[in-house]
Amino acid sequence: MTMSRRGPDALSRAREFSLAGLLGALGLMLPVGFHALGWGGKVFLPMHLPIVVAGFLVSPATAISLGVAVPFLSSVLTGMPPLAPPIAPLMALELAAKAGTASLLYRSLRAPMCLALPLAIVADWAVLALAVSLAAGFFAIKTGAFHYVLVATVVSVPGTMLQLVTVPLAVLAIERRMPRLRPRTKNAPE
Amino acid sequence: MVAITGFLLAVFLAPTRPLWPAGALCLLVVCAATLGRLPAKMMCRRMLSISLMVGLPFALSRLGGEETRAAGETFAVKSWLVAGAFVVLMASTRAVTLLEITGHLPVLSGFSQLGGFILRGADLLAEEVTHTNRAWALRAPASAIRIRLSALAWASVSLVTRATVRSERVGAAMALRGFDGRFFAPPARRLVVCDLLWGGAFGLAALAIGIVGRWA
Repeated sequence: MTMSRRGPDALSRAREFSLAGLLGALGLMLPVGFHALGWGGKVFLPMHLPIVVAGFLVSPATAISLGVAVPFLSSVLTGMPPLAPPIAPLMALELAAKAGTASLLYRSLRAPMCLALPLAIVADWAVLALAVSLAAGFFAIKTGAFHYVLVATVVSVPGTMLQLVTVPLAVLAIERRMPRLRPRTKNAPE
Repeated sequence: MVAITGFLLAVFLAPTRPLWPAGALCLLVVCAATLGRLPAKMMCRRMLSISLMVGLPFALSRLGGEETRAAGETFAVKSWLVAGAFVVLMASTRAVTLLEITGHLPVLSGFSQLGGFILRGADLLAEEVTHTNRAWALRAPASAIRIRLSALAWASVSLVTRATVRSERVGAAMALRGFDGRFFAPPARRLVVCDLLWGGAFGLAALAIGIVGRWA
């Protein structure tokens, strides 16, 4: 069977977008489930889980777009996270940084997952610190950006631990089920 | 879009001491809500949920020194104003119209494509959850909470792995229907002069209040 030159690219792009869409949908639904069970979103970071998983499975551009889109969409559809106080924009930046770093390290630079995931989490904290400093400028607050990031980091320790345990398991399970999603090595056949 | 951009800039510029610029911006939001014929009850309900979120940091800031109190006031007033403007925008505009407008903005139109995929995915997952719930209700209506929770965990894991299988099928279906790797923006809604005038007037009025409040 012959395929047009654009064929395989088109197919992989379509697959990637639909996979990103489904994981993004999980990013909308998991927080609803967590809130229904009474588990705090700030503690367990349920929206982060599927977006980080997506970061390991799709290209950096798609991962960043997904990270930006999901908090805003969730804000419009469910009212959480709110647009003002600006939790949704902060989360959008955080998730974009986390998913983008994970995708860049794991898929583009072929770094091992045990390195990519902690670095993605660190990138998330760095971007959060920067964004909170800017937001503090908007609200004319002179102090507190560092404390906010520190408190947010400490409060979300259970969520971070959850990510460190579940994300590699989920990514490995998906990759085992669909080897096509593994990042290609240089000598691997197309 | 024009109105909300102008309003955000105005909120950024406007100080909270003296209070009149913030008061004027609040009046502008109330006028927009009145002109949009938004039900007062709905507005109050939505603002109340925002107030609960803003109220706690504001109340805590009252315990601090002068600078902390001023920061708390600024945070509360600006959060209220921006939330009010977004509530009016969301309540007076249909979601489809907002998506159609993104056709005029190339960056946002890409996000609207992804948003469409996410909403479709949410639809599929909601269906899966409904099926799972129905299966529980039919097969184990009085099962112990421990069993229910472990089943919920397994169902969540299965949703993640099934998502990848679904994406294969959706991707193949798209390729079969002629998808060639390019996404097209949805047809943009025609901009009406009247809409532009209203949006421009609101944005300019807000901006004027912000600038005068800042430098007067």
